[in-house]
Amino acid sequence: MNLYEHTIVARQDTSPSQIKQLTDKYSKIIEKNDGEIVQTEEWGLLNLAYVIKKNKKGSYIHFKIKGSGKIIDDLEKNESLDKNLLRYITVKVKKFDLEAKYFSKKDEYEKKDYKKEYNRD
Amino acid sequence: MPSKKRSDNKKGKQSNFAKLSIFQPNKYKFKKSCPLSVKGAPVVDYKNIRLLKKYMSENGKILPSRITNVCQKKQRELSMSIKRARNLALI
Repeated sequence: MNLYEHTIVARQDTSPSQIKQLTDKYSKIIEKNDGEIVQTEEWGLLNLAYVIKKNKKGSYIHFKIKGSGKIIDDLEKNESLDKNLLRYITVKVKKFDLEAKYFSKKDEYEKKDYKKEYNRD
Repeated sequence: MPSKKRSDNKKGKQSNFAKLSIFQPNKYKFKKSCPLSVKGAPVVDYKNIRLLKKYMSENGKILPSRITNVCQKKQRELSMSIKRARNLALI
């Protein structure tokens, strides 16, 4: 069993219901292949750093998956055909960092960062 | 002829002094420890954009470790995660 972090970027004009459909679709694929979803995060609509297929924004969905490598093969096969998606990335990790949330609560993260710097001085 | 010899001597002395100034005092001044391998340092991750942006130039290039004093191991992690973030258009 391996641990994977999987992120997909959807087009800017997908409605929230469509995003739910996407997450359901891919979580079903994971469950089919005997995988386990540890956590799903929705980072929401974020500004892209550069234009991809005439999109200036993209909605990000992040999965944390526990399972074998077959899941990833199946996921990426389906994602490469999906027209609603702009990018996807899979990263194999040794440990999940379930506490750090870099996107959902921006203000709290800034405060933590500030404290760290303050203590160093 | 003699004038040339003098100039040669002067040059030699100057370069020697220059070398001294390079090697002796600065050795201690410019040595800094790696900011990412200290205790309590943040984890290098492709999701942590605020951290990655510190180690990039304004044009989005990766800064060399000789400027940022990051150790070799962490520099590899940094460049890896910066490239991942680029692919996701986060940076």
